[in-house]
Amino acid sequence: MKADTLRLLSTKGSRQGMWLLPLLIALGLAIWLSVQTQQFLNAGNLLNLVAQGMPLIITAIGQMFVILIGGLDLSVGSVISFTTAVLALDGPGIVLIPGVFVLAALIGLCNGVIITRFNVHPIIATLSMQYVLLGITRVLRPVSGGTVPDVVIASVSGSFLGVPLPVFWGIATIAVAWKLLYGSRFGLHLFAIGGGVASGTEDAAHNFGIRDRRNIVLAYVICSCFAALAGVFLAGRIVSGDPNVGLLFELDAITAVAIGGTQLSGGVGSLHGTVVGALVMALLANGMNLANVSPFIQTMIKGAILLLVVSLQSRKKMGL
Amino acid sequence: MAVALDNSTVRRLLRIPPAYYVFVLLLLVLWIARPHMLNLNVLGIFVRQVAPLGILVIGQLLVMRVKSIDLSGGGVILLINYCISSGTFPGASMGFFVVLALAIGIGVGLFNGLMVGKRRVSAVIVTLAVSIILVGFVQYLSSGKPPGDVPSMFTDIYNTKLGPLPTPVLFWVALSFAMWLFLSRTVFGRFVASVGENAQAAHFSGVPVERTVVLAHVLAGLFAGIAALVQTASIAVGSVRVGLDLPILAVAATILGGVVFGRGEGGVWGPFFGVLSFALLFVVMTAFGIGESGKLVAQGLIILLAAIFYGLRSQRH
Amino acid sequence: MTILVEMSNIAKSFGGTAALKGVSLALAGGSVHALMGENGAGKSTLMKILAGVHQPDGGTISRDGRAVSFGNPADALDAGISTVFQELSLLPNLSIAENMFLGREPTTRLGRVDYARMNEEARRALAELGLSLDPGTLVSELSIAERQFVEIAHGIKADASVFILDEPTAALNAADVEILNRHIRRLKGEGKAVVYISHRMDEIFAICDTVTVLKDGALVGTRPLSEMTPATLIAMMVGRELAALFPPRGAEAGEEVLALSGLRVTERSKPLSLSLRRGEIVALAGLEGQGQQKILRALVGQYAPVAGQATVKGKPFALPASAASGVRAMQARGVGFVPEDRKEDGLFLGLSIAHNISAALYSMRSELSIAGSYQRLIADVMQRLQVKAAGPGAPAGTLSGGNQQKVLLGRYLAAEMDVLLIEEPTRGVDIGAKAEIYRLLREFADRGGAILVLSRETVELIGLCDRILVVHGDTIVAEMPAAAATEHNILDAALSA
Repeated sequence: MKADTLRLLSTKGSRQGMWLLPLLIALGLAIWLSVQTQQFLNAGNLLNLVAQGMPLIITAIGQMFVILIGGLDLSVGSVISFTTAVLALDGPGIVLIPGVFVLAALIGLCNGVIITRFNVHPIIATLSMQYVLLGITRVLRPVSGGTVPDVVIASVSGSFLGVPLPVFWGIATIAVAWKLLYGSRFGLHLFAIGGGVASGTEDAAHNFGIRDRRNIVLAYVICSCFAALAGVFLAGRIVSGDPNVGLLFELDAITAVAIGGTQLSGGVGSLHGTVVGALVMALLANGMNLANVSPFIQTMIKGAILLLVVSLQSRKKMGL
Repeated sequence: MAVALDNSTVRRLLRIPPAYYVFVLLLLVLWIARPHMLNLNVLGIFVRQVAPLGILVIGQLLVMRVKSIDLSGGGVILLINYCISSGTFPGASMGFFVVLALAIGIGVGLFNGLMVGKRRVSAVIVTLAVSIILVGFVQYLSSGKPPGDVPSMFTDIYNTKLGPLPTPVLFWVALSFAMWLFLSRTVFGRFVASVGENAQAAHFSGVPVERTVVLAHVLAGLFAGIAALVQTASIAVGSVRVGLDLPILAVAATILGGVVFGRGEGGVWGPFFGVLSFALLFVVMTAFGIGESGKLVAQGLIILLAAIFYGLRSQRH
Repeated sequence: MTILVEMSNIAKSFGGTAALKGVSLALAGGSVHALMGENGAGKSTLMKILAGVHQPDGGTISRDGRAVSFGNPADALDAGISTVFQELSLLPNLSIAENMFLGREPTTRLGRVDYARMNEEARRALAELGLSLDPGTLVSELSIAERQFVEIAHGIKADASVFILDEPTAALNAADVEILNRHIRRLKGEGKAVVYISHRMDEIFAICDTVTVLKDGALVGTRPLSEMTPATLIAMMVGRELAALFPPRGAEAGEEVLALSGLRVTERSKPLSLSLRRGEIVALAGLEGQGQQKILRALVGQYAPVAGQATVKGKPFALPASAASGVRAMQARGVGFVPEDRKEDGLFLGLSIAHNISAALYSMRSELSIAGSYQRLIADVMQRLQVKAAGPGAPAGTLSGGNQQKVLLGRYLAAEMDVLLIEEPTRGVDIGAKAEIYRLLREFADRGGAILVLSRETVELIGLCDRILVVHGDTIVAEMPAAAATEHNILDAALSA
């Protein structure tokens, strides 16, 4: 019995990473919260949980694509803030909404090209991108304000057939990501590239005839676009643009991905794991809010979890 | 392109860290556009402002030479600033605060070093997480409000001058000189060069790689502690935002100075001039009325361009 | 016979060192073409150019008479050129089937990867090679030999007409090699062209029709194998009488400096012991990958054996040694380890020759001590080794392979080691430098040092060493004086164990 459980939890023979354990943790957290506080299970709080967790789920899924190839995108938080600022520019929704995705794709393209063509470490490339975007966002919208197009607000607050709209956002995001990762050759190629990076043979996937540079660039574009999607969602929730709304979001996203069993060294991980990881983070935040934990303590706890999760992952390389 | 790169003069010019070019360029810009700002008093004030950054850079260049990075300096500075300005230790002497600051710095550095060197966790993530934990801690203690006044003895020392030069600037130069001596004269300096060039080969030639990385992080923490003291002295009132942008500026100045993840061509003085370039950049931006957001964009672009400069140069084919 | 591929005047250099100097090669359909040469002669580089991994600096490639150029491996595959690379380049996190179809996966109408078809075809391809592995198994779960077979299956199942097999048999035993040979004959029968690279003479003569020999990046010649004997082939590869390369063997060996006892490399292998005395050079020989490297590396903590004890100059210590400090601890006891991969594990290519030579000297001191410059010593060592360089300040990366290897050896001479553990002492080194390195190693032994060495080139071990220990199945199965050893009886000793 014990051996069987262990085998279920082990990651050997699979490239999905350890996702069952976090699922158990998520379930445990949910049960514990519903026993501890009456508010947890009421409809309002559950909707709140979904709505609050959704941006993180979306961003984490995007981040996962980049982490699977052994990269990292530290610019997603600033993409989110930037997106809300652009949406609050007081223009027609028909221009602004496609506009933010075009801009996000361009940002991802820049990240990817700088990394693959100019040989810059992903962390440095995306870190500097973060600062460039922060600056531009502050110019567009120095403090929070403005109003976003009505359609954006409506898309996150209403419900359809009695189901709150945020749930559809979740389903749609996961479906798109599923298709990209498991329903195409592209997804398999991402795993291949990451597997090469993790085992120290960066050229391995290339030698198989995979267009690795193009796929890497595409992963960064996907990551940015998912961040923009999270930005649209958040903009709808707060109804305005906010230059600080995405602050530290990149770290939350990385934490969620890592909790879900995806290895930061690349090549091992899963979509369901990432969703579970984001769920754990959302439940934790929800529980801490219900228990009136100071937001500063919440920041500390999230930092500690990130430290704990990444230090449990072993890797060969030292440094960055 | 290939012809140009084969040209030895061009290659030698490319070896000079961009910091020196940027420094000269910015001096020229100032000289043409705002010649009246080019006097020792104005520049002295701006250079004094970047002294904490300069001291933080001394530690940053060390960890970056062993292919690591330290982004926890912001949290360290904030915590030490809080300890000094909040009145948590009423009536404590200067010596007590200095020891406390160094102890905090070394402690955080040791933690970073063990996580990076022994556990092999990504340095960016460790030091960022440590930073947000420290920032959260300080904000919790202070409930997000500015803590209080910095004891006047700090500001008094900060405002002294030795001849025409402000003491903090001299202190920064002295520390840089000490690090230069340390790296060029001790066995540790050779270990750093070996690990940065090729950690695997360093290991096989008998270099204690893990210990070197840990020690580099401890020293980086120590310098963050010293930078925190100088930064605290530079402001009369405590703050919950002080120093948060310093780590990224330190990375930018270090890269600009020619020290990029393993490459140590810039030595200690390249990054030193990287910091001076930032001082001049602030002068220029102030002179042209460019605000905070412009500075953020400039920081990002400088890191990016400098990194691309090295990336292109190191490309094999 | 039709010429399927013609490479003419191919030149390629890496960072100023010429790897190929105007090499031409024509591959005919229905024939197996052996590509021979010592390590570093340029065989792999030439094949990587044909496979699209590297792009040539000069020369032309024509495919069926039309000029082509391959910008990347995908282009070469599209042109019907399939490669089994020397390094195991499979991706550990993908399944066998995924690895075999990577880059050319079949898809369903919806754009999904067609796993059913992929697994089925992979199963069939594996079955043809006599393997009954589940195609869904991740490669990380396979043994080295199984991986090699997967790699072969991947290469030869491709819809191609030119097949490059770069040392495909390194991890295979005789029976497996026979299976492979059957498939090569089948390909040949179907009119395909096969390039075969191997160090094993018997395989070359068993399977190949034509041989092309490279030396130091230049073409020596192309001959039908029917005109050759192993001896003439070796002479062609080495370029001069073999015996002249090696210094005379040592006189009487002295006291014991290094001993291993009860070393068990793996759970299943038999314990082994060995003893190394002053003044002698001892080889670990045998088929590739049979445990020679593990034994050597176990001594410095770079491989963790099950159990064992090492004794250095009378002082015993238990194995496994610490991975983090094993090299350092051994160095402090006067035992230097010279790793095989000079560029990745050995030298600091971007740093000066002086830094490279003094690295081990510094390592034996504490961090805070003042670093001397060792100018005299470094100049001495450089002169003793006759390193050709602009000066001690020149970056090691600017030197030729032979001079780099001398600098690496110089590091341990400068640190005055008593024992050297050397992997592949002359990998990628030209013939002149080889002779010099053999002379240096013999000098080291004559001065009272002891050397334990392993090499893929058995001929080199026979010529250089005093004693040969034959390793097979992770243990020592035979010992013979080098003077009486031949490639043939070493192989015999290994296989009859």
